[in-house]
Amino acid sequence: MAALTSGAPAAGSTDPAPAGPPAPPRVGADRARRAGRVALRVGAVLLRRALVLAALLAVVFAAVEILPGDAATASAERGDSAAAIAARREHLGLDRPLWERFTDWMTALPTGDLGTSARGEKVADLLRDPFPNTLALAGAAFALTIAASLALGCLAAARPGRRTDRVIGHTATTAFAIPDFVLATGLVLVLSLWTGWLPAVTVADASGKPAEWTMMIMPVLALAVPQTGWNTRIVRGALADQAGAPHVEAARLDGLSTTRVLLRHALPGALPVIATGIATSTGMLLGGAVVVETLFNYPGIGTVLAGAVAGRDTTLIAGSVALAGAAITLVLLAADLVRAKTAGAGR
Amino acid sequence: MYVNRRQLLIAGGGIGAATLVGCSSQGGDAPAPQTTGGAPKKGGTLRVGALGRAGAITRDPHGTQSNESDYLVLSLVFDTLTVPAGKPNTAPRLAASWESAPDLKTWRFKIAPGALFHDGSPVTAADVVWSLRRLRNTKSGASRLPGIQADNITADGDATVVLVSDYPNAELPLLTRLSSFVLKKDTPDGALDKAPGTGPFKLDWYRNGNARLVRNEKWYGGEVLLDAVEITMFETAQAMSNAILAGQIDLASNVGPVAARIAETRKDLRVVRRPNDMAMPIVMRAKDGPFADPRVREALRLVVDRDAMVKQVLSGYGTVANDIMGTGDPHYARDIPQRTRNLARAGQLLAEANFDLGRTYDLITTEDIAGLAESATLFANHAREAGIRINVVKQESGKFWDETWQKGTLYTTYWGTNDSVLFLGSKLMVGDAGQNEAQFADPAFDDAYRRAVGAADEAGRAAALVDVQKIQHERSGYLLWGMADGIDVATAKVQGLPTLAGYGRVQLQSTWLR
Repeated sequence: MAALTSGAPAAGSTDPAPAGPPAPPRVGADRARRAGRVALRVGAVLLRRALVLAALLAVVFAAVEILPGDAATASAERGDSAAAIAARREHLGLDRPLWERFTDWMTALPTGDLGTSARGEKVADLLRDPFPNTLALAGAAFALTIAASLALGCLAAARPGRRTDRVIGHTATTAFAIPDFVLATGLVLVLSLWTGWLPAVTVADASGKPAEWTMMIMPVLALAVPQTGWNTRIVRGALADQAGAPHVEAARLDGLSTTRVLLRHALPGALPVIATGIATSTGMLLGGAVVVETLFNYPGIGTVLAGAVAGRDTTLIAGSVALAGAAITLVLLAADLVRAKTAGAGR
Repeated sequence: MYVNRRQLLIAGGGIGAATLVGCSSQGGDAPAPQTTGGAPKKGGTLRVGALGRAGAITRDPHGTQSNESDYLVLSLVFDTLTVPAGKPNTAPRLAASWESAPDLKTWRFKIAPGALFHDGSPVTAADVVWSLRRLRNTKSGASRLPGIQADNITADGDATVVLVSDYPNAELPLLTRLSSFVLKKDTPDGALDKAPGTGPFKLDWYRNGNARLVRNEKWYGGEVLLDAVEITMFETAQAMSNAILAGQIDLASNVGPVAARIAETRKDLRVVRRPNDMAMPIVMRAKDGPFADPRVREALRLVVDRDAMVKQVLSGYGTVANDIMGTGDPHYARDIPQRTRNLARAGQLLAEANFDLGRTYDLITTEDIAGLAESATLFANHAREAGIRINVVKQESGKFWDETWQKGTLYTTYWGTNDSVLFLGSKLMVGDAGQNEAQFADPAFDDAYRRAVGAADEAGRAAALVDVQKIQHERSGYLLWGMADGIDVATAKVQGLPTLAGYGRVQLQSTWLR
C-alpha cells in the first residue's frame, strides 16, 4: 500500500511545460517537419515517463523486501519447519538476489507477461477483471471531478469575493482535507445504513462486475469529493489569474456578460493550468482506490493490492502498480498534449 | 493484517478428535442446528459473506486454502469422508461407516450407498483412493494425512477404501474430517475449476472468489432445502459487517464481535455464537528457564483474572477456561474445579520456587488474530498486581513463527481445533509431540495419553482421559484462560445454521429460509 501511495505522486508530477514552437503556416514541407518534431517530442515524453515508471517499480520491489517477512512465511502453514519454508522460498525464487528477480520481471514486462503470483497464479489473470473495474471507477470519479470542479470554480470566479465564492472556497478546502476512509465511512453511514438509499458494499456477479450500477455511486463519490475540492481551488485560482489579462479586461470593458467573458475569454487561457492540476489527480484517484475499494469491497486492483501487500506478494504488487502507473502515464501524456495545444493556441 | 495461518491450520493438518474403535454410521449426530422458526421449508437463495483475499484464491480442493470463501465453496460442492459433529465429534459423510482392525492401523471406510457425482456417475472406491492419494502427494500432504503413505491407500472392491497407518491411530477417521475432498478419478489439474463434486450443492458459476451454487437434487445425504447459495468474498470483516447491516447478505460468516455488538441492537439480525472456536493460551516453557518449575507455572495460572480476560479481550464473546486444551471435547472434564484468581497462593508458590521477582520477563505475542496481543497486555497487568514484571513484545508474524514458536520461554499461541483433548495432547504435549510448544515432557502424562488412545473399552478410556486432563490442569506448559466464540451474524429469516466451532460453520446443507 505504501508503495502506491508514496509512489503515485512521484509518477503524477508533471514536467515543466515544453515551450510550444512558433508555428509559421507556410508550406507543406514545413508542416511535415513540424509533425515529425511533435512525434519526436511525444516519443521523448513517453520514454521519460516509462523510465519514471521503471524506477517506481524498482522502488516497489525494494519496499516489499524491506517489509518484515516474505511470501514464503506469509503463505506458510503452521508447523512448517524452517526447512519447509526455505524450500518454499527457493520454489518461489525468493532466494535469488533482489536485482535479479527485478530484472527478470522487468524484461518480461514488455511482452505483457506480469509474472506469477506467490500462489502460482498468472498475475495477468488475477488482474484481468479487477483492472477494468478500477478504470471504470476511477474514470467515473475523474469525469465527475472535472465537471464539478469546472462548474464550482467558474461559479466562484463569476462572483469574486462574494459569499458564493467564499463558501465554495472553504468547502473545497475542507473536502480536500478529509481523509478517504473518514469520508467513505461517513457516506456508508448516511447514505446506506441510516437512510437505506444505496447499497453499502459492492457485490460482484458472474461477469465479475458490480451486480448493480448503484453500487458504484458511493465509491465514486468517496474518490471524487476530495479531488473536486482540490481542483475547484485550482480552477478558481487560474481564472483569477486570467481576470487580469488584457484581452479579458478588454472583453469586460466591451460590456460582454460575465458568463461570456468567463467562458469565452478567461477559461481558454486558464486551461493549461487546469489540465495539469486535474491530470495530477489521476495519481491520487488510483492511489485512493486502495482504501476506497477495500472499504466498499469493490472488486478492483486496489482490493487486490491491499491483499497482496499483506501476503508479501511482490509480483502481484508490482503488476498492480505497473497497470495503475501505465494508466496514470497515459493521462499525464494527454494533459501534456492539451497543454501544448492550448498554450500554442493562446499565442 | 489479514493472516491465514489460522485457516491453514484448520483446513490442513489441524483436524482431529477422539472416536471409538469401529464407530459406525449410527454415531452421526448432525451439527446441532438452530431451530426456532417452525418446520423447515424448501426454497430461497441464501446470500453468504465470507472472508478472502483476491491474491490467495484457490480452486484446488487439495490446495492450500487460506480463503474462508474458497473453503466454503469447496465444502458445499465436494464431500469429505467424514465431517465434524457434536457428540461424537466425527460424523459420516461420503463414508457411511468405518471400522478398524484390532491393531488400530488398518481402517476400512464404506462409501455411502447412492453417492453420485454431479454429472450422474456413481462414486467408486477408485475415485476416493485417487483423491486421497492426490491429497497425500501435495506439499502439505504429510500433515493432512499423517502417518498414512500414499501406497497404503487402496480400494477393496467398488465400495470400500482401506487406509493403513504407519502406527496405531484411534483418531484416524478424524483426520479425514475436513480435507479429504473427493473428486473423480483422473481429474486433470487444468479442469479442477469445473470438476464435478458429490456435495449438497452444484457449482453454477465462480469468478474471482465469488460464486453461486445450486441445489443438488440427488444428494445422497438427504434433502437439501435451499435453492441456491450465493457467496461473496470480503477482504475485510468491516465491509462484510456493513453488508449484513445494509441487508445485502443474509449471513456474515465469522464476522467477529464488533459486528455482533451492532447486530445485538437490531431486531432483524441474529448473532450466532459458536463456542470453543479459538484457544489463545499463553505458553510457558517447561523444559528449562524461569518457568521450568511447575510451581511457577501454577502461580501464573493463579494470577490471571479470567473473567476480566473474557470480558475485555473477547468483548464478552467467549467462556472462561480451566487450563485444559480441548474444551469442546464431549469428554471434557467439567468436574475438575475451576481455577480462579488467588494472588496470595500465587505469591506463596513463587516464594517456594525461589522465583526471581527482581527481573522483567518478556512475553512475546503477535497480531495474527484479533485479541491476541490484547490478551498479552492484559495478562501483564494482572501479573504486575502480583509483583511479576512482564514486558509484552509484539513480533511480526513471520519472525514469530521462525524464532519464537516452540523455542521461546513465554509467548502467546492460538489453536482453531478444540474438540479433542487427545488430538491436542498428541500434537502439543506428549514428550515426542511434533509441535511441543512448551517443550513439556512428563512420563505420567505420556502414560495416561497412551492408555486413553489404546483403551479397548469405554470405561478405561474415560478414566485415562480424566488423568490426561488432570495432569494438564495441574502442570502443563499452558495457561488457557478462556475460549473465544466463533461469531456469525444472520438475518432473522435464516434457520438451521450450524453452531459448531471452527470450520463446522461451513455445513449449510440443512440451512433453510423462513
